[in-house]
Amino acid sequence: MTTTAETRTAPAAHAAKRRRPRTEALWGYAFIAPTGLGLAVFYLWPVLQTAYFSFTEWGAFGGHTWTGLDNYVRLLGDPEVGQAVLNTLLYTVLGLAGIPLAIVFAALLNRPGLGGVSVYRTAFFLPVVTMPVAVAMLWRWLYNGDYGLVNQVLAVVGIDGPNWIADPATAMYALVVVGVWSSVGYNLIIFLAGMQAIPRELYEAAAIDGAGRVRQFFRITLPMLSPTAFFISIVSVIGSLQLFDLVFVMTGSGQSARANPAYSRLQTVVQLFYERAFVTNDRGYAAAIVIALLVLIAALTIAQFRLQRKWVHYV
Amino acid sequence: MWKSVRSGAALLCAALLASACGGGEQAGTGAQPHEKVKLSYGVWDATQQAAMQELAAEFTKTHPDIAVDVQLTPWADYWTKLKAAVSGGAAPDVFWMNGPNFQLYASNGVIKPIEEQVDTSVYPKALVDLYTFEGKLYGLPKDMDTVGVWYNKTLFDAAKVEYPADDWTWTDFKQVAAKLTDAEKGVYAVGAQLTSFQEYQYNTIYQAGGYVISPDGKKSGYDDPRTIEGLRFWTDLIAAKQSPDLKTMTDTAPIQLFEAGKLAMYWGGSWDVAEFTKNDYTKDKVDVAPLPKGEKQATIIHGVANVMSAKTEHPAQAWEFVKFLGSKQAADILGKKGPIPAYNGAQNDWVAAHPELKLQTFLDAVAYAVPYPVSKNTAAWQEAELTHLTKAWTGEVPVDKAAADLAAGMNDLLAEE
Amino acid sequence: MSERRPIGVHAVLIASSLAMVAPFVWQVITSLKTLSSATAVPPSLLPEGRWDNYAKVFELLPFGDQFLNTVLMAAGRVAGQVLFCSMAAYAFARLRFPGKNVLFVVFLSVLMVPPQLFVIPQYQIMSSLGWLNSLQAIIVPGLFSAFGVFLLRQFFLGLPREIEEAARLDGAGPVRIYWSIMLPLARPGLVALSVLVLLWAWNDLFWPLVVNTDPDKMTLSAGLAALQGQYQTDYPVLMAGSLIASLPVIAVFVFLQRQFIQGVAHTGSKG
Repeated sequence: MTTTAETRTAPAAHAAKRRRPRTEALWGYAFIAPTGLGLAVFYLWPVLQTAYFSFTEWGAFGGHTWTGLDNYVRLLGDPEVGQAVLNTLLYTVLGLAGIPLAIVFAALLNRPGLGGVSVYRTAFFLPVVTMPVAVAMLWRWLYNGDYGLVNQVLAVVGIDGPNWIADPATAMYALVVVGVWSSVGYNLIIFLAGMQAIPRELYEAAAIDGAGRVRQFFRITLPMLSPTAFFISIVSVIGSLQLFDLVFVMTGSGQSARANPAYSRLQTVVQLFYERAFVTNDRGYAAAIVIALLVLIAALTIAQFRLQRKWVHYV
Repeated sequence: MWKSVRSGAALLCAALLASACGGGEQAGTGAQPHEKVKLSYGVWDATQQAAMQELAAEFTKTHPDIAVDVQLTPWADYWTKLKAAVSGGAAPDVFWMNGPNFQLYASNGVIKPIEEQVDTSVYPKALVDLYTFEGKLYGLPKDMDTVGVWYNKTLFDAAKVEYPADDWTWTDFKQVAAKLTDAEKGVYAVGAQLTSFQEYQYNTIYQAGGYVISPDGKKSGYDDPRTIEGLRFWTDLIAAKQSPDLKTMTDTAPIQLFEAGKLAMYWGGSWDVAEFTKNDYTKDKVDVAPLPKGEKQATIIHGVANVMSAKTEHPAQAWEFVKFLGSKQAADILGKKGPIPAYNGAQNDWVAAHPELKLQTFLDAVAYAVPYPVSKNTAAWQEAELTHLTKAWTGEVPVDKAAADLAAGMNDLLAEE
Repeated sequence: MSERRPIGVHAVLIASSLAMVAPFVWQVITSLKTLSSATAVPPSLLPEGRWDNYAKVFELLPFGDQFLNTVLMAAGRVAGQVLFCSMAAYAFARLRFPGKNVLFVVFLSVLMVPPQLFVIPQYQIMSSLGWLNSLQAIIVPGLFSAFGVFLLRQFFLGLPREIEEAARLDGAGPVRIYWSIMLPLARPGLVALSVLVLLWAWNDLFWPLVVNTDPDKMTLSAGLAALQGQYQTDYPVLMAGSLIASLPVIAVFVFLQRQFIQGVAHTGSKG
C-alpha cells in the first residue's frame, strides 16, 4: 500500500517540491508574523529605546534631554547601587542552596514503592503556585519579632528570636529562606522528571556490583542529573538577579520602606530600578540601572557556561 | 477555546489600529464664547467624592453655563498621572494640590497664579503662606489638618495616670510616658514613628525652637542645635524603652500597636478621627489632647488647596469655580461630610459630629500652627530625611551626627533646585 | 533494615511537608482573629471567626473587579500565546523559509533579556495609546512570548513526521496541517504552556503594578500590595486579603495537579 501510494504520487510530489519553497516560505513568514511583530513592537524596540534612555535625563513634567554618559558616571559613584548589587548577588549565591535541597527531596520521593508521593508533592508545590505577594505578606507576619510564629516557636525552646526582616544582621538570610521555601517544589519536580529518565538498568547493574542506595545516588543519580542541575542553576541565577516581588512587599512597599533599618541590606537592583523609574520618575537613570543589570546577568551566565565543564556530565 | 482565540486576535487588531490612530482624540474641544463650558476637576480622595459632586452641582446652580466633571484618581497614582497629564497638555482645569508638591508645580509654571485680589484673612495664614510662591498666591485653601495626641483612656486608667491637660509640657509628657510604660505587658507610652514627619518630628522640631528649612528655602535647618533637640525628643524615648525600637515599629506599625492596646499614646492628625471612631478596639477608649509644649507651642498645619492648570482653556470659568470652592457656602457643605474646612468659622459641624471627643483641640491648635515645610523639590530631601534619620533611630549613629549628615545632603539637594 | 528505612524517609518528608503547609494554616488562623488577639503573647492556636477582616478587604478594594481583571488577563494571555506561539513554533519546526535560523535567534534573544528592560518603553507605548489603566494594557504585551515559541517548537520537533507527510501528499497546505494535525498532536505541549502562562500571569506583579494604578483596573497581586499600603501591618486583614487573592489559582492547581506538574517538568526538559 505504502509503496503504491509513493509511486503513484511521485511525479506530483516532484512538481510540488519545485513550487513549494515559495508558497511554503510565505506561509512561514505568515505564521511567525503575529509573534514576530508583537515581539518587535513590545520587546525588541523597547530594548533599543531603554538603551537610548540610559543616555538621557528626564524632566519633572516629561521630556528628556541627551546627557551622554552622565547616568553611568553617577551609577558608578552611587553607593546605593553598589549596595543593591551586593545584596542581589548575595541573595543569588545563597539561593543556590535550594538546588541540593531539591535534589535530596527528589531522591527521597523517587524511592521505588514509596507511598503518599502525590501528597508530599502537593505539599511541596503549594508555595510554588501561591502568589509571591501573598507569600511575602505571609512571611512578613511569620517573621514578626514580637508576635510572629517563628519567634513564638523559638520562645518555647528558650530562644529570643530577632526581628528577622527588620534586623540588618538577619534580613537577607530570612529572605533567602523564603526564596528557597517558595521555589524548592518547582525544582523538585524538574529533578524528579530528570531522575525518572535515568535508565533503570544502570541501577540494576550497580546493585549487582554490590552498590548500596547511597552509593548509587552519588555514582549514578548525581552525575546523570548534572545537566538538569546546570539548567536549574542558570534559570535560578537569572531569576534571583531579578528579585523584586518578595522584597517589595516584605520591606513594606513605598517610600516608608526606607525606614526599615534593614532596607539597605534588602534593596535589590530591580527594586531600585522600580523606585527610580516609577516613583521618583528619574527614568534615564533607571534605564542605566537596568542596563547594568543586563551586564550582570550576561556575565554570570557566561561564567556558569565556562564552569560547567568542571561539573556537568553529558552522556 | 475558539471564542477566546478570536478575542485574542481581535485584541491584536485593536492594538495595531490604536497605534495607528492613537492620540487623535484630544482635538476639537475649543469652546465658542457664551456656549456651555465643561470644567474638569481632579481630586484624589474617594471618601470626599460625593461631597465634591455636591459642590459641583451647587456651583452649576448659580453658573448654569458651567458644568463640572469630578475626576477621581486614587492617591497612589494621583501625582504620577497628573505629571503625565500636565506634560501631555491634558491636565484637569482645576485640581487638588498639596504642600510638598506645590512649589514644583508653581516653579515650573504649570499652575496659574491668582490674578484677582482676594480676601485671604478668612483662611489660616499658614495655609495661605503654603500656597504662595514668589509673592503670588496660586490656590485657595480647601481643608486643613493639625496634629494632636490621641490617648488610650483605658491604659491611662490602668496606670493611674491623669489624662493630659491642655497646657501640658514636654516635662509632663516625659513623666507620664515613664509611668505608662509597662514592659511586662508589652505596653509602651508612645511609638516614636519615623515615617510620618508631619505627625512626629516636624512638630517637636518647631516646639524646640528649631526649623526644617530656612524661610527662603535655600538652607536646611537640620544642623541647628534646637532642631536636633526636637529629634532627640524621640530618640530619647526609644533609648528609655518608652517607645518600641525601630525594628519593632517596622514589624508592627505604631498605629496597629495603638489599635492593639500596646501604645498608650499616638501622635496623629485630625484625619484619624474617622479611623479611631470606627475601629472596634479604639472607638470607646480614646480621646485627644493638644501636643505638649516645648520651648514653644507648635503643631504642623497642612491642607489641600484648589489650583488651576496654566493651560486651561477656560481660565475665567476655572477661576469662578475656584472662588466658589473657597467660599463659606462651599466650606459649610464640606464640613458636614469630610475634613475640617479651611474657611474660618465654618468648622463647627466637623467638631459637632463627635461630641464624645475633644475635637475642638485640633481647631484651637491653629492659633500656634506652623506650615508644613516645603521647597521646590520637597520629595528629594524627604527621601534623604528617611535615609539619614533611620540611622539615628536605630542608634547606629548619634542623632547630632545623623542630623548634620542630613543637613549636608539636604543643602546639596536644595542647591540643585 | 531495609524495611525500617522508609519510616525514616517518611519522617523527613512529613516534617518538611509540614514546614511547607504550616505557614498557610497560620495564615488562615490569623485571618480570623482580631488585631489584639493576633498580637497576644503567647498566641492562641484557635481561630475566632472574625469574618470582618474579610469585609475590610472588600471595603478598601474592589476585589470583585480585580478578580475579574486577573481572570481576563490570564485568559487573554493564555489564548494569545497558545495561538500565536504555536503558529510561530510550527513554522520554525517544520516550514522552510529564508532567514529562518536568523529569525529564530532573534526570537530567542528576547528570552535572554531581563524583562525590566522592556518596561519603561512599554509604559510609554501604553501611555501614548491612552491605555494606562486598561485591560488591554495588562493583556497585549503578554500575548507574545519567545518562551512559548521555544517550548512549543521543541514539542513539534519531537512529533513524528509521517502523518504530516501523508497529509501533505494528499494536498493539505500548511494551514490545514497546522490546524488539524499538529495542534491536536501537540495538545500536551499546549496544555503545559497554558498552565505555565496562567500561573505566571496570575502571580505577575511588576507590569500590572506599574501600568494599572486605578484600583478598579488593578490585578489581584497589585491590589494586594495596595492593601498593605493602606493597612500597613494590620496582619489579620492582610492575611485575609492574601488568602483571597491566592486561593483561586491554588484551587485550579488542586484540580489540574497533573497538568501543572507536567507543565513544570516540561520547562526542564532539554532539547
